[in-house]
Amino acid sequence: MQEGRRWPVHLDSVVEEFKGCFDAMERYELLFEYSKRHPTPLPVEEWTDANQVHGCQSRAHVICLVDEEGGFILRGGADAQIVQGLMAVTAMAVNGMKPAEVAEMEPEYADAMGIRSSLTPSRANGFLNMFKRVREEAALLCEVL
Amino acid sequence: MALDIEAIRADFPILGRTLPNGKKLVYFDNAATSQKPQCVIDAMSHYYEEYNSNAHRANHTLAEEATTALESARERISSYFGTSPDQMIYTSGATEAINLVAYGWARENLGEGDVVVLTEMEHHADIVPWQQLSIDNGVEVRYVPIDTDSFTLDMEAFEVALEGASLVCVVHISNVLGVRNPIEDIVEMSHSVGSRVLIDCAQGAPHETIDFDSLGADFVAISAHKMAGPTGIGCILVKRDAMSEMGPFMTGGSMIKRVTTKGSTFQEGHAMFETGTPRIAEAIGWGAAVEWLDQFDMTEVHEHINDIASWTAKRMREIPGISIYGEPEREDSSGAVSFLHESIQSQDLALLLDEGGFAVRTGHHCAQPLMDALGVPSTNRASFWIYNTMAEAEAFIEYLLYVVERFS
Repeated sequence: MQEGRRWPVHLDSVVEEFKGCFDAMERYELLFEYSKRHPTPLPVEEWTDANQVHGCQSRAHVICLVDEEGGFILRGGADAQIVQGLMAVTAMAVNGMKPAEVAEMEPEYADAMGIRSSLTPSRANGFLNMFKRVREEAALLCEVL
Repeated sequence: MALDIEAIRADFPILGRTLPNGKKLVYFDNAATSQKPQCVIDAMSHYYEEYNSNAHRANHTLAEEATTALESARERISSYFGTSPDQMIYTSGATEAINLVAYGWARENLGEGDVVVLTEMEHHADIVPWQQLSIDNGVEVRYVPIDTDSFTLDMEAFEVALEGASLVCVVHISNVLGVRNPIEDIVEMSHSVGSRVLIDCAQGAPHETIDFDSLGADFVAISAHKMAGPTGIGCILVKRDAMSEMGPFMTGGSMIKRVTTKGSTFQEGHAMFETGTPRIAEAIGWGAAVEWLDQFDMTEVHEHINDIASWTAKRMREIPGISIYGEPEREDSSGAVSFLHESIQSQDLALLLDEGGFAVRTGHHCAQPLMDALGVPSTNRASFWIYNTMAEAEAFIEYLLYVVERFS
């Protein structure tokens, strides 16, 4: 991450793509598309109580781990495509980062994408709860590594 | 006289607002809470501007005015529900009302060997207090199933469940299905086996006249905010003989006769159950709400709402992929239309509808046992009330079609 930027450089193109949307419906449509592009999805068969993110109106599940090079991997799945799309973008952001970086990341890219502004606070809670869980798991991975 | 919907809408300033995206608000979340007419807002503002004071606490002018307004509201509200003020206890809403019966009556009178009969259709507010009672006092809790084809209570199973019942708790109108249960029959059948009966009228009170004394139920729980009143207030209507069997639930100021270091004695009647500073502004607002509602023939109100719900449900059934849970077309249905789309998840659909200005509810509606019986985790729900129009329903269907075509 560059100085002053709170998300990785490689997410810039995604943020710009969302910024270029005509209206909220187009942003939702794009999120629906991104929901199918999750780089490290978590299929329904692997959804358990233990990996469920609580506080979401929809069902959302995440598993966080590190690869052989010590890069963070976010696997995730949700029944709502808007949440799944937000997860996909989050995975694109954090995959490959050091867990310590993920543990300190802020969800400002969602603001920049214009997503949180089109969600009320209670709706954004689902996303924020998911994000909080990812950061907590990243912090735990820091302790283990 | 037919309802003048435009005149009714003019009483609700919020209905004229636009959302941040420029779309006009279409409010279809009335089963969650209704909007408030100007007279309710004014009555509450007037109290704070002119005579805000603590009721039942002092002899000065403001305190007397506040006390008079609080008790006048009780008279007006109890009269609206066909009973007298001494059979009405103010609560924070229907949830606290049911908890008051669980803690104030059931814990005093029920124990091991007693049976509480519930239904699968109940709101969590009418399930969890009884589960807790079962843990603490050992009462048996039975659940009457619903027929998932007709979305009605299985009345044969109800009759079986009644055997040995001490208390029957049934929702008047389901907040999910809009189905009206045969509460008159339920009261009669329950009393015939010697059981007390609690009816949860949170959804029913905004849709039909509740005549407590004629209905004959022992307890009726009501929320103000679903019937044009403010949030934070409701009541439990209690038959005199049932109230005499109740003990205190929450204790503290107001509900006592005398407190010494050795112990306390309590007030009698509803005063025993209204501890602490009353919800004065809310009671005054609710009083204004029932006065506003009282100008209408509730049969006409019900027909108006049922017309919109029936039409909407019929059109939704024609949209590919939409399933409806309930029978909103039935004449006694209340105006809630629960639905799901086969490929657009309910939260996604609610967000997309909101973009068009349509406020609908999504989730399990605090009725997870009913969701389990229906085999779904959640539904979307459009719920209509007195100020909704057929034009709004037509716009909703048009927008829903657009969303389904674009996103499914």
